[in-house]
Amino acid sequence: MHKALPVPDYCMKIILPDKSCRDAGPGPVTVETLVRDLGFDPVGVIVARNGTLVTEDAVVENTDEVRIIRIAHGG
Amino acid sequence: MRSGSSGSPTGDEAVACDDVPVKTPRCDRCSGPAVFHDKKTGRHLCREHFIADIEKRVADTIRSKNLIIPGDHVVIALSGGKDSTALLMILARLLPSWDSVRLSAVTIDEGIAGYREDTIRSADRLVMQYGLDHASISFTELFGGTLDAFLKGREPEACSVCGILRRKALNVAADRAGATKLATGHNLDDEAQSVFMNVLRGDLPRLVRDSGSDSKGRFIPRIKPLMFISEKEIAVYLMLHGAWADLPECPYAVHALRGEVRGMLASLESKYPGTMLHLMESKTRIEAQCAGRLEEEPVRHCRECGDSCSGEICQLCTLKKTLSQ
Repeated sequence: MHKALPVPDYCMKIILPDKSCRDAGPGPVTVETLVRDLGFDPVGVIVARNGTLVTEDAVVENTDEVRIIRIAHGG
Repeated sequence: MRSGSSGSPTGDEAVACDDVPVKTPRCDRCSGPAVFHDKKTGRHLCREHFIADIEKRVADTIRSKNLIIPGDHVVIALSGGKDSTALLMILARLLPSWDSVRLSAVTIDEGIAGYREDTIRSADRLVMQYGLDHASISFTELFGGTLDAFLKGREPEACSVCGILRRKALNVAADRAGATKLATGHNLDDEAQSVFMNVLRGDLPRLVRDSGSDSKGRFIPRIKPLMFISEKEIAVYLMLHGAWADLPECPYAVHALRGEVRGMLASLESKYPGTMLHLMESKTRIEAQCAGRLEEEPVRHCRECGDSCSGEICQLCTLKKTLSQ
């Protein structure tokens, strides 16, 4: 019988484009990796870490709040 | 990856070494925290240098392509969405320093329930904030009905129907406003998609057609000052100005070929940074090769409405007949 994987007691809070929240972790991880793991194309989103815009090669950690903003089309 | 910076007591900046990414990459010009990373060039820019870079590139596009000249009355096609909002903000910053150029805006209300109301409110707020003259015109006023009503049962044709009606509406609105140039918010993504779509359709004349310079007095020349600014750069620019609004997407966008091309190009751009710019460069080279070689379409006038067109009846009059069926 397999032992269950340990569940991290902390993780980063992710706010998705539809405003729903989910936890992800553990970090640290680059923004680009996180965005891809969540199923988004980095070209189509911008990311704020703790309220500040960051680049795809920035790093997010377990204590961070990460907001993913989809670039809406049209206009 | 940058390396060699020291850690900070706040932990904001991780101690960097060659195999550990820094938590916040730094601006290549001033070492401030980077907000944008250009994957093609590898360049990182902070807020101030990113904004300055965008505005300089728009000014360079306008100058190099001679899009605006002294005495012009530039009318912005302002939907209130992100692209036209950024266009207005940038032109309002650039143009006061240019010779006797006037700026105003027009908004088209196509009549798309649940979509256009929000962007029109956003457009109204923006022109008030910048103190610009602003005129609005609706499909109902011009064509006797909303786009929603015209598209019942023919949703897959939405973009082509809307495109024909919107083009006419913009021409009427710009003409009423006394425009000498009609500025639209088309960005690099839009332009690259158009190049690709024209290649897919095998439409060489449309590929090399330049709406800004070949008007020959038939219509108000259209200019696209954001044609080399990516959709993502526009979103970042707005976000940095606190002007980002989470507006809905056009409900008809899902039906368009453009939607498929957009997804394909975004994926290619992600894997091969610079793809969209390369498409634009290809277009420029093809234009140069074709200069003077393509047979010019004779200037004709629609026998129903008198507008300039390429056939006997213009696209609008042809469409109107099907709308009334």
